[in-house]
Amino acid sequence: MPTVEYKGKVFEVDEDGFLQAGLDAWCQEWVEYVKEQEGIQELTEEHWKVINILQDYYKKNGVAPMVRILSKLTGFPLKKIYELFPSGPGKGACKMAGLPKPTGCV
Amino acid sequence: MADEKVIEKLKELWTKYEEIDGKFDEEMDPVFKEPYYPGVAEKLFNPDKPMENRITDIGPPYFRQFLPPIIKKNYGKWVSHEIIQPGVLKYESETGDVIYVVRCGTPRLETTDYIREICDIADKYCDGYVRWTTRNNIEFHVDSEEKLKALIEDLKNRKHPNGSYKFPIGGTGASVSNIVHTQGWIHCHTPAIDASGVVKSIMDELFEYFGSHKLPAKTRLALACCLNMCGAVHCSDIAIVGIHRKPPMVEDDRIQHVCEIPLAIAACPLGAIKPATVEIDGQKKKTVRVNAERCMFCGNCYTMCPAMPIADGEGDGIAIVVGGKVTNRISPPKFSRVVIPFIPNEPPRWPTAVKWIKHILEVYSQHANKYERVGDWIERIGWEKFFELTDIPFTEKSIDDYRLAYTTYRTSTHFKFTKHIEIK
Ligand code: SF4
Ligand code: SF4
Repeated sequence: MPTVEYKGKVFEVDEDGFLQAGLDAWCQEWVEYVKEQEGIQELTEEHWKVINILQDYYKKNGVAPMVRILSKLTGFPLKKIYELFPSGPGKGACKMAGLPKPTGCV
Repeated sequence: MADEKVIEKLKELWTKYEEIDGKFDEEMDPVFKEPYYPGVAEKLFNPDKPMENRITDIGPPYFRQFLPPIIKKNYGKWVSHEIIQPGVLKYESETGDVIYVVRCGTPRLETTDYIREICDIADKYCDGYVRWTTRNNIEFHVDSEEKLKALIEDLKNRKHPNGSYKFPIGGTGASVSNIVHTQGWIHCHTPAIDASGVVKSIMDELFEYFGSHKLPAKTRLALACCLNMCGAVHCSDIAIVGIHRKPPMVEDDRIQHVCEIPLAIAACPLGAIKPATVEIDGQKKKTVRVNAERCMFCGNCYTMCPAMPIADGEGDGIAIVVGGKVTNRISPPKFSRVVIPFIPNEPPRWPTAVKWIKHILEVYSQHANKYERVGDWIERIGWEKFFELTDIPFTEKSIDDYRLAYTTYRTSTHFKFTKHIEIK
């Protein structure tokens, strides 16, 4: 399994850069690291709102929310979510939040 | 009356097309006029600012930019067509214009070198125009008989170094045209069989049917390497689908981190998966358990959850389904049905599967009436007769047992005695 080192921390990731140990390995440094990877200039409160909601939903339900539910819970339309996370809610926001990589016919 | 309305509507559309074309001719996207510049990505893409210079939501290029002028001119005005020989069509327009089309088989997976060769041919005979069909054949259009002759001669002589035709001509009329197929072991992670390898093996064996019209009706072959059935296997005359025969493994140590467990549970069409907890190195881990008695090895759980792999060298293989069609001609569209539940994977030539497919095709060809598709023929003679004529052993695996299964049983005393029925 490849690892990445960032600010003294070591993360085990898969080939797409998702955390192998999921939320167990998630920390502030991980967010900073993904932020750089995703070309996000600055993490705003709005970014954090999405991350927190994703994590809460995941802890409670064991799955990532459907896009419509994410929009409803955050109050952000999909367009806004893409503005915050250019790679989108799956590849961008879920990765940053430490959720498992999206599966299925994507 | 209705016809007149339709024609009115079409005329309106064509006027609109002409307006749009005019606009496109004036301001055709320069991308299509300039040679491709390979450095463009590096020049425009800055990984630190991925949203800078970003172009998005532009859709595909407008198709009419790439129509041969004669086709554009006669768009919506064709009056008749004729297959003048296998693989060669002739279209006539109400304006008196005529166009010939030569259809060639392709392997679908292609190199850029091969595509460049196609472009060279198109430049030489077709003013640079060429198209692909919905079965991944190529069609070259020419506007005169001389060009047609030269083009056919040229295509016939192009071969790969090992002897295969690069551009075999055929795929029209009552033939076996190209096989619609999928990724197989070339690119997908859920296949039970390969796609390209099996397709090459079958088409080699059925090659004579590609370049001829000797079947009762066109016969559509398709292949999908797993039950996702990407493509057309569920609605083809004869089709191949990759299947598993063993339940998935569960990787308890990592499933909790790489899978959304409720998704895996909900992915199962038979409710065979339930959540579980195990202890590994003193740590409690969330996982799932599969009830092997309920599992029918569809592999859907693996699609959703990478910690439930299912592929198995010996377990995996081919199922053959027949009798599907999508057209409404004479009879309504039909689904294809399982007649051979399992044939092992035999790379690189899959001889057993190829033998059965050829055999089914030949028996159909011998017994069906003109215009009868495989499914039409079977419905006329009855499934028991199909199994008798083809010598395919009928097994319980062909008997539906999924939810609406009842509708597929025989609720009638109408049947024919066949050799399958033993009277003791
Ligand atoms: S049929 Fe299955 S294995 Fe084949 S390409 Fe589609 S999803 Fe992949
Ligand atoms: S392979 Fe299919 S039937 Fe078996 S457990 Fe997975 S989803 Fe259920």
